[in-house]
Amino acid sequence: MLFPAILQQLQADEGDPLAPREPHFPAKAKRVIFLFMTGGVSHVDTFDPKPALTRDHGKELKLDHPEIKNRPGYERIFLKRPQWAFTPHGECGTEVSELFPHVGGCVDDIAVIRSMHTSHSNHYNATLAMHTGSFTQSRPSIGSWLSYGLGTVNRNLPSFVVLAPAQTYAGTQVYASDFLPGAHQGTLVVPGDSPVANLAPRVSPDRQTLELAALRSLNEQHLASRADDPTLSARMRAFQTAFGMQMAVPEAFDFAKETDETLASYGLPRGQTTGFAWQCLAARRLVERGVRFVEVIDTGSSGNWDSHGNMLDHARLAKQVDQPIAAMLKDLKRTGLLEDTLVVWTTEFGRTPFNNTADAAGREHHPWAFSSWLAGAGVKPGIVHGATDEHGLRAQEKPVHLHDFHATILHLMGFDHEKLTYRNAGRDFRLTDVHGQVVKDVLA
Amino acid sequence: MNRWVALLVPFCLGGGWLSPESVRADEGHAFFEAQVRPLLVTHCYGCHGGDHAKGGLSLESRQSWQRGGDSGPVIVPGMPEESLLVRAIRHDAEASPMPPESQLAPEQIAVLVEWVRRGAPDPRDSVTKIAGMNEQEAQAWWAFQPLADHQPPARKSGGSEPDHPIDRFLLEPLEAAGLAPAAPADRRTWIRRATYDLTGLPPTPEEVETLVNDPSPDAFARVVDRLLDSPHYGERWGRHWLDVVRYADTAGENTDRPLPEMWRYRNWVFESLNRDLPMDEFTRMQLAGDLLRRDARGDAYAEGIIATGYLALARRFGHDIDQENHLMYEDVIDNLGKAFLGLTIACARCHDHKYDPVTQEDYYALYGILDSSRFSFSGCEAKGAPRDLVPLLTGADAEQWKRPWLAIREPFDRQISELEAQRPTLVADWQSQAATKRVLLAADVEEAGGITFADVPGAMLDNIPVRRGETLMLVVAPRGNHGADSTLVHLEIQEQGAGQRRWTTDDLVADFPHSSPHIGPADAPVGWHFLDLQAEPAWLNERLEGYENQPAIKIWRRGETPSVLVNTSDQPIRVWTELPARSFLVHPGPNGPVAVAWVSPIDGVISIRGNARDVHPANGLDGVAVSLEHFADPQSSSTLGRLAEESSRRDQLIRKRDADSGPEPMIPAAFAVVDAEPRDASVHIQGDPEKKGATVPRRWLGIFGGAAVPADAGSGRLQLADWIATHPLSSRVIVNRVWQGHFGRGLVRSVNDFGSRGEGPSHPELLDWLTAQFEAGGRRLKPLHRLIMLSAAYGRSSIAENALVDADPDNRLWGRFARRRLSAEELRDSLLVVAGSLDRTPGHAHPFPPPATWGYTQHNPFAAVFDDNRRSVYQMVQRQRRHPFLALFDGADPNASTGQRQVTTVPTQSLYFFNDPFFHEQAAALADSLSDLPEPAARLDRLFRISLQRSPSEAERAWAADFLAAYPGDDRDRWAACCRLLLAGNEFLHLD
Repeated sequence: MLFPAILQQLQADEGDPLAPREPHFPAKAKRVIFLFMTGGVSHVDTFDPKPALTRDHGKELKLDHPEIKNRPGYERIFLKRPQWAFTPHGECGTEVSELFPHVGGCVDDIAVIRSMHTSHSNHYNATLAMHTGSFTQSRPSIGSWLSYGLGTVNRNLPSFVVLAPAQTYAGTQVYASDFLPGAHQGTLVVPGDSPVANLAPRVSPDRQTLELAALRSLNEQHLASRADDPTLSARMRAFQTAFGMQMAVPEAFDFAKETDETLASYGLPRGQTTGFAWQCLAARRLVERGVRFVEVIDTGSSGNWDSHGNMLDHARLAKQVDQPIAAMLKDLKRTGLLEDTLVVWTTEFGRTPFNNTADAAGREHHPWAFSSWLAGAGVKPGIVHGATDEHGLRAQEKPVHLHDFHATILHLMGFDHEKLTYRNAGRDFRLTDVHGQVVKDVLA
Repeated sequence: MNRWVALLVPFCLGGGWLSPESVRADEGHAFFEAQVRPLLVTHCYGCHGGDHAKGGLSLESRQSWQRGGDSGPVIVPGMPEESLLVRAIRHDAEASPMPPESQLAPEQIAVLVEWVRRGAPDPRDSVTKIAGMNEQEAQAWWAFQPLADHQPPARKSGGSEPDHPIDRFLLEPLEAAGLAPAAPADRRTWIRRATYDLTGLPPTPEEVETLVNDPSPDAFARVVDRLLDSPHYGERWGRHWLDVVRYADTAGENTDRPLPEMWRYRNWVFESLNRDLPMDEFTRMQLAGDLLRRDARGDAYAEGIIATGYLALARRFGHDIDQENHLMYEDVIDNLGKAFLGLTIACARCHDHKYDPVTQEDYYALYGILDSSRFSFSGCEAKGAPRDLVPLLTGADAEQWKRPWLAIREPFDRQISELEAQRPTLVADWQSQAATKRVLLAADVEEAGGITFADVPGAMLDNIPVRRGETLMLVVAPRGNHGADSTLVHLEIQEQGAGQRRWTTDDLVADFPHSSPHIGPADAPVGWHFLDLQAEPAWLNERLEGYENQPAIKIWRRGETPSVLVNTSDQPIRVWTELPARSFLVHPGPNGPVAVAWVSPIDGVISIRGNARDVHPANGLDGVAVSLEHFADPQSSSTLGRLAEESSRRDQLIRKRDADSGPEPMIPAAFAVVDAEPRDASVHIQGDPEKKGATVPRRWLGIFGGAAVPADAGSGRLQLADWIATHPLSSRVIVNRVWQGHFGRGLVRSVNDFGSRGEGPSHPELLDWLTAQFEAGGRRLKPLHRLIMLSAAYGRSSIAENALVDADPDNRLWGRFARRRLSAEELRDSLLVVAGSLDRTPGHAHPFPPPATWGYTQHNPFAAVFDDNRRSVYQMVQRQRRHPFLALFDGADPNASTGQRQVTTVPTQSLYFFNDPFFHEQAAALADSLSDLPEPAARLDRLFRISLQRSPSEAERAWAADFLAAYPGDDRDRWAACCRLLLAGNEFLHLD
């Protein structure tokens, strides 16, 4: 019953926004796992050792800092010592605090950037910018840009998946495709029993198979006189894909075939479908299946790393993510995926190395400096890039603005960040706006 | 002679046959060409020439350096020492060193200094540029021209088609390309197309039948008129406009606060289109309705305010939106530029527009107009509550609105003022009693502590002579804190000598609720007053029998506090604290004391005992102060009584008045804009609001003449509205939007950009002719729809010969109708229609929680979905959280102007048709509506007519029979599945 011309249409991928595409230049990295810690992780308590901060604890500072400007009770500020000890790890000797013992064990595969900085001290703006390069307006997310640039190799799964238990700051804007074609928007997966909307079939497989065939036949009759319209056949293909997704997505999230050993390495009890360990293992399984960009967000916009009240809360948050992240890195390495997968760990900003009393329990927002790290494909392993000043206040040596960070990620994926553009409202937009320098030192 | 002098010598020698001025000019220019230009080209143009103007400075022409950069002019001709350029090339301390990487050689510096000293002669005339376009090009830009008087070309062909001017314009280029247009669509296709186009809804089977069987020549015209008269027309075309103005029901700042009144603007847009408001008026109202209708009354006034919701709809930014006003204004300027003028004006926020003739001054001239207006404020995390909403009733209308409420209150208010008139006398009497006051005891009760009166040093408790009517007052006052301390008190008055009578607060516990003031039983008529002493004494006159389900607690109070209370039970009761069994307690007010007063019924001598204890200890509080006061005047109790009674009557009147009238009725208000203090804005250098440049007077865009806002004109919004509404560009832009609404693409495809980065019109003469028709017809949309929809072009089939498709794959010649997918709203509404569940009534306000309860933060922003069965245009749209359905099917972006919807095809949409509960419900309802027909053939026929507006073909009947036979389950399962297939099929989702 299928006309040859239609058959051809159905197989064609012309104009398909998700068809695989080559980057600007050859690159090792084919896909990204983007680990985002919501709320602002304190750099001086995690990846940026500052002995002088301990030494000078309680010393008064004079600063023109965005968080203390005209803020009652912040007329005077004092240095506040880190609350966790740092030790060198691995052969490279990169120092990591005792908050991240497991990640510390992986430093020989990691390039830590200690000189990150950003331009806003609000969660909303800094989070939006870390994802889209824009501090105010909605713009396409970095995952959408890479989906747009590279397409995807597995049409049974979305090209850009976001694993998050709750919305982070700025809501759906952080994974929106904005003006890029909608096929590039992030698909939200909320850990739990039904992670993707409308995925669970409402009729039995035999009925659905009948329906799919009948729908196809109905659409073929409609297509017969309209064979020149690619959107009609694209939509027929999309039903086939969706039909496959109903199997492929649950399969990706079905950990039954993972060994006890693997589950244990992540710290994930068998059968549990929530938690960061689940998200990390799911991320590995998604990149294994060809998903281009997987973002893993650890918490939502409340109960996160925003430890104004008590820095000890960092211990709880670090404990949730440390072992799963390290297990995922080792797992990717074991399976060879780390060869062509880029792993990014970041947050929206750091936390102040000071507070308004010397014995304050918490730390405030600090856009001037924070730490992030890269690992895997194309990344120079076992290095530390850049440095803050002795108290961790300013990114002093080789500062890396988030635009530079984005430019570097795009470079690692094979893109010139100035040339990955999209024409919208009369001008060519790009992830890095008019900024961005590739950080060459972290390239292998 | 050193080299420098030698170098300069030739220019010092003049030619005698020229006038001195021209000699100097020629010499200067020769010097420039020989010495200066090479230096500029080699060392400066890299950053300050061509497309580069670092720091806003270009050295490419005389005019460009005369204008200077962000730091102002850089050359003061003739005065090298005053010239920033000279200081920069010398690497002087206070100037940015230029060139930055390496200093020029001394001889090069000397050349430039000498050049400046000579007055900087410079023959380089710039091509005069207005921002990104050269002046001539800008003046001649097609979109800015007055409408040309184009007439439709002569008709050459068209066969049996009626002669329609639009077709004459379209056929000419088709014929030139040797192409024949597609055949007319059949009537069923046409009415389906027309009905969706004008109402966003499918036609009913009956409407299809009527047209198919109507032989009259005006059959199509009557359908168009009927559809234009439908209230759903405004909803459909209003939604197009809401796309453009990025309509949303939330503010978009960090907490995404609801805008509970925004719906009024949404509905105004729908209603305005339904009554075919002329588009210039539509424009004026949105920009300055408040000013246009300033002197109107009633609905006309309200409409003016509501229409400015267009401006108030601006996205809000950040944590404290007052700090980010410049971004809100950018959002407004961006939107009004694109929406009304098809210009990307907001590109000029940080620098002149790179491609179009819009300068940074233009941007801040408009900015000043907006900044001279007051925008309703949505509230934000830093400043919680909304404010500056604009009441929709003023003066007499507001009075009228409140009249019923005032009428109820008026008699009470009169009585209250009568009472208040007596008050000064009473207060004076009471103050005179203070002279007789003797403090018998004064002590502090520490937090959690207690005192026994007899132990207080200096207390005078024995042998106190009293006369009938004198008053003894136990006063409990807050100390430093807010006073909320429950204090257990015990007061005991013992008559000395013969009578030995005894009065205690314990006696009051049993019949405490009886009255306040408290008159004892007949055999012992003694008076007790429970008093609020926060101002002059007033009775505690609000009785509470029971508290938190504890009936044994009885309270006299005045408001929340102060109060006097008892636990009448034999058991202690745990409420906010533990109240001991059969206890008597007092609770002061936040700013003043509470008192228990005893009125002496005897002439005699008394002794006093008692104690007080804080029974609600808490960290950080500081207890209460207790005193015992004796008013030794027999008149004191009656003065006190009269004063307290007056207060009490007033309290009662106020309470009754408030209960009878209810709260003050809220005057309806809109989220809108009104004029504020006019002020010009300063340029923000590089867009940074902290870096202020020159002040720019409020005015119209320079390229359009730059007319100034008159001095006494207020903000200038009214002028701006006129400038925009009467410019031919705004007519072209709206006509092009209407064309797009019917044909899928505009004659100018970049509907929001008529500038040099947009696409030019495919048929410029047609665009101008249509625009001229539109203007001549009073700038109304309905005649334009009629004109377009009755053309042959609109009625063509979307199925065309291969020759046409191959020659014009992108349909730029409009030889066929462009098939389109239904929009998100059309899809959802159609599902509701076929299921018979669509609620066609207009939506109003959304069920947002009341603003007083908003605790939204960036950590816990507002998030909700309030779907109902009304049309999709009435569903609540949030800025920070995309509506799940609208996001899935390419709904408009609520954060930026959507000139044209994207159409994407993704598998998650297909999952919707497989598994979404709403979709399944509608399909099941449709199947149920067929079940009264016993015959499958009849059912199938109705199903096709309802969902596809046609009967099934024989092949489709066979298809359905096969499917129904093969599908397991009962009849209902099978038909529900069959309905799902029809509704998931390409034909349902696409418009031919």
